[in-house]
Amino acid sequence: QYVPVKGDHVIGIVTAKAGDVFRLDVGGSEPASLSYLAFEGATKRNRPNVQVGDLIYGQFLVANKDMEPEIVCIDSSGKSSGMGVIGQDGFLFKVSLGLIRKLLAPKCEIIQELSQLYPFELVLGMNGRIWVKAKTVQQTLIVVNILEACEYMTAEQRKQALAKLSGN
Amino acid sequence: RQPLSPCVAGERLCSTEEATAGSGTYTRHGFIFSSLAGCLERKSEESELPVVSVVRDSESQLLPNVGAVVTCKVCSINSRFAKVHILYVGSTPLKSTFRGTIRREDIRATEKDKVEVYKSFRPSDIVLAKVISLGDAQSNYLLSTAENELGVVVARSEAGVQMVPISWCEMQCPRTHTKEFRKVARVQPQFLQT
Repeated sequence: QYVPVKGDHVIGIVTAKAGDVFRLDVGGSEPASLSYLAFEGATKRNRPNVQVGDLIYGQFLVANKDMEPEIVCIDSSGKSSGMGVIGQDGFLFKVSLGLIRKLLAPKCEIIQELSQLYPFELVLGMNGRIWVKAKTVQQTLIVVNILEACEYMTAEQRKQALAKLSGN
Repeated sequence: RQPLSPCVAGERLCSTEEATAGSGTYTRHGFIFSSLAGCLERKSEESELPVVSVVRDSESQLLPNVGAVVTCKVCSINSRFAKVHILYVGSTPLKSTFRGTIRREDIRATEKDKVEVYKSFRPSDIVLAKVISLGDAQSNYLLSTAENELGVVVARSEAGVQMVPISWCEMQCPRTHTKEFRKVARVQPQFLQT
């Protein structure tokens, strides 16, 4: 199970709106809170467009065993740097925490090889959640299946599978 | 005194012509009513009317007053306040604990906006605080530690060992030597036991 750590970037699902705060499910033992002011360019009059069920990519501001975890979509200088509401469509799925860390390693071959196959958008959350969006639904599902299978495939098997797909 | 008989809150005891209202009672329309559920006590005076009072548990409950120093245990923390259980009022232990709240702006007297509750208290710390208000409808006393003599007195480190205070804002674990932030109370030297 995922344990929130300060500074980790995760994908959360908005489960409720409670006043000025959104409740996010991050796959931990309790839901995290996200203030509506924690977005780039958000003011009390200019509220961000976040609905229940949206996907959010953010980082933990507060994450310890004594307090409720708090997420923000803004970094220490006030810029969003890629964080915020994740766009429409795409596919969210869960993998193990170990695979995420492997994919986030500096020179990850899996992502490089996949990007030569089809162009796609990818968001990796340290809580084991991945969001993928490619041009068609079929391509998206292919990428999802490859990423899920990467857990158990060796590099050789992966190269074979990708060669078969790019041949088709 | 006459033997005690039980009575409930709101029970009409007698008229104000027969006796005088004592503690735990109130007068309405010329009659004395009980305001507590307990035992009726009638004290006969020589020259004046007997005094009628209602006592509970044969010991009066000690309530924290505004300005009293209380000893409490932190049960949960939040980024805006800390919730505590009040254990002692002064030096007398309470039979049932009261709930208290220490707001973020009442933790310190200076630099109130830079206070972080996580760096002042943790759950299961023992804290000396002062009552500033009897509180809201949920009977949460409002407490403050905004003085040098108030704050954390006993705290355990993440390793589970009781920590030693080093300064007004830090405590150190004697086993792992890690320092943790707390709002430490400056206890008078005569109360320290080595």
